[in-house]
Amino acid sequence: MHVYVEFLGLSRLVAGIKEKTFDLPEGTTFRDVVRRLKSEYPAMVGNVIQPDGETLQAPNIFNLNGRRMIQQGQMDDLLGDGDRVVLMSMSAGG
Amino acid sequence: MHGYSGKILHIDLATRKTWAESKPEKWYKVYIGGVSMATRLCWENIEVGCDPLSPGNPICVAGGLFAGTPVPVGGKWGLASKSPLTHFIGDSLSGSWFAIALKRAQWDGIVIHGASEEWVNVLVDDGRVEFRPASHLLGLGTYETEEAIREELGDDQVRSATIGPAGENQVLFANVTNDSRQAGRTGHGAVWGSKKLKALSIRGTNGVTVFDPKTLLELSYDIVDAAQGPHTQKYRILGTVSNVLNMNRLGLLPTRNYQQGVFEHAEIVSGEYLHENYRVKTIACAQCPIACEQMSRAKDGPYAGAMSGIEYESLYAVSSNCGIGDMQAAIKIIDVCDRGGIDTMSTGVTISWAMETFEKGVFAKEDFKCAKYPEGFEPYFGNAEAGVTLAEMIRDREGIGDLLALGTRKASARVDAERGTETFKWAMNIKGLETPGYDARALKTFALGLAAGTRGACHNRTAAYDPDIKGEVDRFSVDETRGELAKSTEEYAAVYDTLPLCKFIRRCFTGKADRAGAWPAIAKLINATTGWDFDYDDVDLIGERAHTIKKAFNIREGWTRADDHLPWRWQNEPMEEGASAGHVVTEEELEYLKDIYYEAKGWTQEGLIPREKLIALGMDDVAEEIGV
Repeated sequence: MHVYVEFLGLSRLVAGIKEKTFDLPEGTTFRDVVRRLKSEYPAMVGNVIQPDGETLQAPNIFNLNGRRMIQQGQMDDLLGDGDRVVLMSMSAGG
Repeated sequence: MHGYSGKILHIDLATRKTWAESKPEKWYKVYIGGVSMATRLCWENIEVGCDPLSPGNPICVAGGLFAGTPVPVGGKWGLASKSPLTHFIGDSLSGSWFAIALKRAQWDGIVIHGASEEWVNVLVDDGRVEFRPASHLLGLGTYETEEAIREELGDDQVRSATIGPAGENQVLFANVTNDSRQAGRTGHGAVWGSKKLKALSIRGTNGVTVFDPKTLLELSYDIVDAAQGPHTQKYRILGTVSNVLNMNRLGLLPTRNYQQGVFEHAEIVSGEYLHENYRVKTIACAQCPIACEQMSRAKDGPYAGAMSGIEYESLYAVSSNCGIGDMQAAIKIIDVCDRGGIDTMSTGVTISWAMETFEKGVFAKEDFKCAKYPEGFEPYFGNAEAGVTLAEMIRDREGIGDLLALGTRKASARVDAERGTETFKWAMNIKGLETPGYDARALKTFALGLAAGTRGACHNRTAAYDPDIKGEVDRFSVDETRGELAKSTEEYAAVYDTLPLCKFIRRCFTGKADRAGAWPAIAKLINATTGWDFDYDDVDLIGERAHTIKKAFNIREGWTRADDHLPWRWQNEPMEEGASAGHVVTEEELEYLKDIYYEAKGWTQEGLIPREKLIALGMDDVAEEIGV
């Protein structure tokens, strides 16, 4: 299945691209996406991705299709074909 | 007493008398510093019910507990007066060297009374006060005024808080500026202008003593180390402007005066685009290891050379919210605001109100005549040059700028009264303060936080967007948890605003930003500075007390439950596209949210504060005046 990952903020600077389409097997979870990102963009580890390579470094967070934020406890939730995952980092203030 | 001098300086601009007031240690334990102490000084010194631009409204400056110490991001100070925009408490924070100069001059706070007959620069030279003529400084911008005072005094260590032309002209959302940082939002600049106070300068030459310097240094080193890591990386590299694309994706980016939450040109007014194309350097406040301010310069075109520090809340207001997809124009508008001494957010939102009023046919081209465009101009959404020109006209109160200088609430009321229109329906303010860069129609905990905000629609005084945006609650609906969430997040923010510490350090104590992660560490910093014995609960009380004194101030100035409102648009007009389309905060939802919020606060259903609540917080004299 195809999952679109859009990079915002720090993750865009590290990845050097705005978005990428991943061809992933059925049953892929958000944690699997983190693993894939770690593999493709190792420079994300330590700032966007936790050193364990399994979860995101706060305050980076996944958003699914513009509506649902993915909590730490939801990292094993399944993705569907055509889902758009936005990797963002919220910054308060200003 | 350590960490404080125990003295407040009073200055009367009319009589030119000065005096020192001693405060007991228990007073400091309740009010601490920053916005809380500044508000308390305002409570004690204001003529209740006064016109904010009259001599009875004092200027109240409060220092920071950690200013001048090694504690990172503690170089901040608080400023309070009755706001001419809201007629309630106007409490602001600013940062950097002025805060340290105040501490070194050994004043915990300064109260400026009355009004001067001539323009004046008040110089506080340690224990001496000098009233210096300032007429020759009129018309100078904020940065230029500060520099001129340094040159005049031949001392580059003198630090000044100044007003620009907007403050002189009493634009109701004029700022006070020091070290290129702004005490913004609620119109302090207008209050200073009404008193003919062009600047407050401080030369502080004393040392700063703390209870346990060795421990304080060790604690501070650890925080500085953490502040170089991932917890602050987003601020150091991109700054808050990275929120443009986040908000756009969530359908929450104010666009064309909050008519939409998605901006088609978001990419070219984004933080990422700014970083790539216009960022010159990143700078820091004094005493800050983070350095978040993205100094950016327009490099070509009609606004080439304009330069300013760009923050998200300024950027959304003058770009997407005005339909302007031109980063260089946005930099120029922010530059006009910062040098002229006007709040960027209120300026942008007031301009967007004028643009919509023009597009709906209430205003016509001839309403926009000015020296630059004698025949007038057409300020449709997206007209960048109109945005720049209107910011200049507001600053100078030229032409229609005189009306817009009143802010959206008063300007719309005047237009509607004169023309029989309903422009109030798109006047985006709460209590008169223009709304921030998060569309609260689809952030319902945040909507409550804003509605209940003591200084109006302020994102900095409530962190209630946090649970909404992070998805910890359903942001599109309301439930019984939101009252406690609004209380908890506003009091959390008030702890930082009172010490004060910049909130960007909040993850650097233990890696976790919540109370459990931060309060024990902050208690250690307080104790090493003062010799007190604060614990988690004492730190938590700092926030409740700070919020309570601000609320008490408002109640005494006539606040009622009806003042906790939302803009008409957020209650009646859903957005049509994007991830937040289709939502409003209904009247029923808002009234329910207020009910459960007042209950969580321990207040009455009218939103008043019981006497016993105030007494339990150590505010016995406040209980006497407004307790029920």
